[in-house]
Amino acid sequence: MTRPEMPAEDAGMYVAREKIHPREVKGRFQNLRNLAVIVLLGIFYGLPWVQWDGRQAVLFDLPVRQFHIFGLTFWPQDFLYLALLLIIAALTLFFFTALAGRLWCGYACPQTVWTEAFIWMERWTEGNRQKRIKLDKSPWNREKVVRRGSKHLLWVLFALFTGVTFVGYFTPITELVGRAVSLDLGPWETFWLLFYGFATWGNAGFLREQVCIYMCPYARFQSAMFDRNTLIISYDEKRGEPRGGRPRGVEPRKRGLGDCIDCNLCVQACPTGIDIREGLQYECIACAACIDACDSVMDKMNYPRGLIRYSTENAMEGKKVRTLRPRVLVYGFLLLALITGVLVSLTQRTPLAVEVLADRNVIYREVDWETIENVYTVRILNKDRVSHAYTLTVEGLPGIEVITRSEQIRVGPGSTASEVARVRVPRDAVEGVGNPFRLIMQSVDDPSIRTVNNARFNAPSE
Amino acid sequence: MTKKRLLRSVGGTLWPSFLTAAFASVVFFANIDPETLHMQTLPDWRISRMTGYAIGFFMFWGVGLASSIITFVLTDGGPREST
Repeated sequence: MTRPEMPAEDAGMYVAREKIHPREVKGRFQNLRNLAVIVLLGIFYGLPWVQWDGRQAVLFDLPVRQFHIFGLTFWPQDFLYLALLLIIAALTLFFFTALAGRLWCGYACPQTVWTEAFIWMERWTEGNRQKRIKLDKSPWNREKVVRRGSKHLLWVLFALFTGVTFVGYFTPITELVGRAVSLDLGPWETFWLLFYGFATWGNAGFLREQVCIYMCPYARFQSAMFDRNTLIISYDEKRGEPRGGRPRGVEPRKRGLGDCIDCNLCVQACPTGIDIREGLQYECIACAACIDACDSVMDKMNYPRGLIRYSTENAMEGKKVRTLRPRVLVYGFLLLALITGVLVSLTQRTPLAVEVLADRNVIYREVDWETIENVYTVRILNKDRVSHAYTLTVEGLPGIEVITRSEQIRVGPGSTASEVARVRVPRDAVEGVGNPFRLIMQSVDDPSIRTVNNARFNAPSE
Repeated sequence: MTKKRLLRSVGGTLWPSFLTAAFASVVFFANIDPETLHMQTLPDWRISRMTGYAIGFFMFWGVGLASSIITFVLTDGGPREST
């Protein structure tokens, strides 16, 4: 297959992305973001090391299909919780987006957080924005090799540490680190360690804002949650324009100027390289770096702060701002209902699951002239972290009784057991097939651990 | 193929299929134990649970990737498109 030759200017039209070196800013929102980076990365890197009841507090044990989260153990049967958790996470995102715009993108998204951490390392090794731009252009001399080399060394070490931590959520981390140091990892551990490390290194070190602009699905549909009362980062055009330079101490209005001195700091501070003065753009991740940059300039000029600020479309047009509106109330109500539901069901959750299967081969057996017997296989899953002894009782039919091999059935922590239950009912108490009754499994040591299963008893029809 | 088109083809196929495959694997393997599938299909082969997860994940990724590539080929850079 041949492809027609590309026209010459087409190749030339493509301008390679210039690396964005965001300018370091100081201010309220930068402090907030630094705090978010430290707290969130602290949780990510610290959590696998927390112990609980003598085992790793958070461990997703895939080979045995059990998830441990502090005191709770989740099984594949608890998939509903995972689904609910994901729905809650999505609703939380919608709720905060409707209220305050792209809070997630600016402060909490792993892409933002890790990029911030990687930029810190870049700053320690290569210096501030001007120095980095200069270094980019300078030839490969000794200084460039040393600075670039130490940056990449830091990045790679940090990315590997990130990979180890990630795998540490799936396999006990204390052993993992020991084996990683002695290069004795299994194939899956090696693969996922390198995979996650590589993804962190590539996304936070190189792709950065391109992930938000080209790769992130959320960035594309988040505007659907927006309305005219959503907080956005906006430049006060009425106050700022016409922009222009001026000597300090000159009253801008006398020169026919607005408050924007066109210093370009907001553009230099922007991690996605846009000019917020051109209005809201979908590249804007609402990190508020431009607000901090502009406020610092306004302070120096003795102008009031907030030429660039968190605002809403309605507020910018001088209309009334409504925080509590149907959209917010609906998201909030759904969120509250779901969280309450999950919490209630988690406290009510019994660490025991029982399945009852009727014997398919024999419908019923006549033990003697007086008694009919049905046989059931009972599968017991002890979801608790300690072993329990259970007793099986039956109710719901006159004179019903159950016989098991032993009085008590002992099941180890996180294990299953099968038991044959012979259920007997006096002949004159039942007739025909499908008489409902209940099997009750109860722990001997903790009567609150109890399940009830419905089953059907078959007898001859007279 | 220009560099931009190459980048777009990678970003527009590998990445969304990876996301979908990750999600599909979680949902699928939360409900189905690879051990059960193994016993019912190829009991003579030695496939551990972890290998089962990996086979499933890469299978989902492959299917998603095929779909993404076809979408990319059909929608991007058709013969008459000028830009």
